[in-house]
Amino acid sequence: MKLYSLSVLYKGATSVNLLKAAYDLSSFSFFQRSSVQEFMTFTSQLIVERSQIGSRAAVKEQDYICHLCVRNDSLAGVVIADSEYPSRVCFTLLDKVLDDFSKYVDCIDWPSGSPTSIHYTGLDAQLARYQNPREADPMCKVQAELDETKVILHNTMESLLDRGEKLDDLVSKSEVLGTQSKAFYKTARKQNSCCEIM
Amino acid sequence: MAESEEEVDVLVQRVVKDIANAFRRNPNIDEIGLIPCVEARYNRSPIVLVENKLGVESWCVKLLLPCVHSKLVLYRQRKLWLDRDALTDLTCTLLLLNPDFTTAWNVRKELVQLGALDPLKDLYLGKLALTKFPKSPETWIHRRWVFQKVVQGICLPHSRSNGNLGMVSTEQMHRIIQDEMAVCSAAAGRYPSNYNAWSHRIWVLQHVAKCNLKILLDELSNTKYWVSTHVSDHSGFHYRQFLLKSVAGNSRSAAVTNTGAFMRKPSNKDHRASLPAHMKEESASVEAHTADVPLMIEEEMELCTDLIESYPGHEALWCHRRCVFYLWYCWNRERLQISSDSSNRGDGTVNNLQMATAGSYSCQGMDVDGGAADSAKQGYTQETKRLKRGPSLDLHSLLEEHRFIDAILAGCTNSEQARFATAYRKWLDTVIGQ
Repeated sequence: MKLYSLSVLYKGATSVNLLKAAYDLSSFSFFQRSSVQEFMTFTSQLIVERSQIGSRAAVKEQDYICHLCVRNDSLAGVVIADSEYPSRVCFTLLDKVLDDFSKYVDCIDWPSGSPTSIHYTGLDAQLARYQNPREADPMCKVQAELDETKVILHNTMESLLDRGEKLDDLVSKSEVLGTQSKAFYKTARKQNSCCEIM
Repeated sequence: MAESEEEVDVLVQRVVKDIANAFRRNPNIDEIGLIPCVEARYNRSPIVLVENKLGVESWCVKLLLPCVHSKLVLYRQRKLWLDRDALTDLTCTLLLLNPDFTTAWNVRKELVQLGALDPLKDLYLGKLALTKFPKSPETWIHRRWVFQKVVQGICLPHSRSNGNLGMVSTEQMHRIIQDEMAVCSAAAGRYPSNYNAWSHRIWVLQHVAKCNLKILLDELSNTKYWVSTHVSDHSGFHYRQFLLKSVAGNSRSAAVTNTGAFMRKPSNKDHRASLPAHMKEESASVEAHTADVPLMIEEEMELCTDLIESYPGHEALWCHRRCVFYLWYCWNRERLQISSDSSNRGDGTVNNLQMATAGSYSCQGMDVDGGAADSAKQGYTQETKRLKRGPSLDLHSLLEEHRFIDAILAGCTNSEQARFATAYRKWLDTVIGQ
């Protein structure tokens, strides 16, 4: 039951920019971590790009679920979790984080912001705290009705893409992913088995 | 490939040497990994050591592996001679790349038996291999071979220096067991429902720890947090079911046999004729404190309830509930049977009882949706005949379960949760309640 990344982004008219992110990659193999991080950034950006303003979504990809919230003011948040982590708590976390972020970071800085220019330090602490969903959200058990109909569910990343668009192409064109990560993606796609050696 | 055979050979020799050196330089290496790297760089070593992590650049693996593999095969066919050190280094490299190459482990077995290799090194190597290949069946199998040697007290170098005739001290054994529990736990975290890791863990408790009661209870408390954070890991919960059944089995035997008995009877497995010395001294003190089984089961049910309510829609939790409740049901039934039987207890009756309930502890009767329901019913009818004269079932628990199910169904929005709750109710009605 893990959270892997927590990101705040801005959905501009023509592009999406990452404002700030926190990651917990401790469960990944040491040498894969930098690639994994790049992929999480790439994925978070892509999901926000392909979603409407004022929407929530949950995108499933292999064993991960990306939870997304794009507010009406174009501020967006993405939490990437494993399949055990309760979705409801992810959306609670997103609401909290976006709320807090908008208090500390002026909206003027959003459209042109980047992780280096934005000064906000709350993400790491929130990510760490929410690793244990029950401690972070004691109301976990209370079946608070999140309007489930408002969350758009995607069973794969591919369903977010336009017709004819391929994820492979987006990966190779991406500026977020380094050459090593792209190579990693290629080999991972080729052998999707659990017993791969090479 | 553009590389000549010579170039590949040079590369292989270099890599084997670099890996051996890395271990010499840093005895605290705790993880291995593959570094995705497309371009081959022959003038630089593909072995990377960062902090305590040993990495191999991916470009060299497809060249390295076939070559190292065939070298070992040639050695086996006696077409190539390798001295012990070379063999050690070669198999080490091979196993870090492919730990399921049985022959490599077997070569190391021979080295261990010759006294040329410390078996603890194999445990260390296996532990590293598991960081990248957490399920690797051959690695787990080899570990069991090593443990058998250690339990026999034969190959441990340190014990020889103690002048203790090769016997392993209790402390050493406990530490080894604890370390192994940690290895299993780490591997379980790296792959969901890692059956190989969990069944190995059970094996260690049965054959190395000999189902020592204190260790079982410690494990019960040590794994509580783990299962709470891995709620869909069937194997993790199955492990707890094993612990509960073993503790219940132990306590049952202790209660039924006279306290004058020196040996604890095992729960399910065959018992070896003699326990190692360090276990004998412990079993006497174990008789003094048997576990509070009803409390243990009650706490497990509470844990299960807590997790089901907090994390809706995980089948593993409902399966676990069935097992725990079934254990509770069997335990109660037996308690009632024993108390009603106390007047006419002879050795024969006791043994029959043990045989009957030993079977029923392990008989799951879980699957209502399949044909198993019939056999479970059959088993129940046979038991009923035996228990006809005994007091009635514990209705209180059954009613509580039904109330729990009703509460879940009333409040849940998750369709899977509703499905599991309904199936559980059906199971209760079919298997338990009449």
